[in-house]
Amino acid sequence: MSTKTKDTGEQITAALIGNPNVGKTEIFNRLTGLSQRVGNFPGVTVEKKGGRFIHQGQVVDVVDLPGTYSLTAKALDELVARDFIVEEKPNVVVDIVDGTSLERNLYLTFLLMELDANLVIALNRWDLVKARKINVDLDRLSELLGAPIVATVATTGEGLEDLKSSIIKVAHDQKKSKAILDYGNDVEAGIKSISAVLNEKPDLLKRYPPRWLAIKLIERDERVLEKANSMFSGLQMAKILEVIGYE
Amino acid sequence: MNSGGSISGGSLPLAFLPEGAKATVSDIQGEKSIVGHLADMGFTPSARIMILKSCPPGAMLVWVKEARIALGRGMAMQILVNEIEEL
Repeated sequence: MSTKTKDTGEQITAALIGNPNVGKTEIFNRLTGLSQRVGNFPGVTVEKKGGRFIHQGQVVDVVDLPGTYSLTAKALDELVARDFIVEEKPNVVVDIVDGTSLERNLYLTFLLMELDANLVIALNRWDLVKARKINVDLDRLSELLGAPIVATVATTGEGLEDLKSSIIKVAHDQKKSKAILDYGNDVEAGIKSISAVLNEKPDLLKRYPPRWLAIKLIERDERVLEKANSMFSGLQMAKILEVIGYE
Repeated sequence: MNSGGSISGGSLPLAFLPEGAKATVSDIQGEKSIVGHLADMGFTPSARIMILKSCPPGAMLVWVKEARIALGRGMAMQILVNEIEEL
């Protein structure tokens, strides 16, 4: 799937994601005008909307993913969103956050950073942020998260042109988000031990972000454990289970 | 987070709170997957919550971290809280 258009300057795919009720669909409609259509993800009944926009001569396909708080393998809508990002590898993931509740919204942002997504953050409800006199240092936040942030007001369209430019810029920029969340010595030691085993399967690491795989194994994520079981030898699995514990 | 079962001093299940009550989360009991899911929804230690709607013995609507989350009564029994006067 990554053969689609990484840097050929042809078509770009951008996936929109965010918590429920952050104005995601409104941003989708603003970005795509009247061209949106409703489709289904293969095999599941969770809706996906697709549309496109053209900006600075660049065609961008936009996919609206289900609104979720998290990206576990336990809930279908979360898995749909996660599988799309992991397997389809969209050129850009636009994380739409509600600027008035960053504590809640940035949780998903961190999960997306761990997925090694090429992120653009749309900090929506910027009008409310200002009205409530919430002080958000956009430059500093962008620096900490390692991704560009665009302040938007979906209801008026404010910031949407900047958002389009940022999407295209990030799509052409090969630089990946570098910021990582440090889980402290105990967990980091576990991540390191598991990574050593993961390194024995270079083709796996080409398909999935190594640190994400290690973290998901520690969390005992069903899907990732299944995948590991099918790919690793008994000895390799034993080394992994030694870190994450038998259950 | 995942303590054995006894309810510590002053804590009570979120399910017991009436509409309009405010509280902080003190503990979540139950299987790891449930605890993780509730944490994903915003029910983390010391998170402040408010009961927006309660329909015993059915579901309840809870305000947590700037969002409204609907909870089944069973899940609401697993979240232990301490009541507070002001958010």
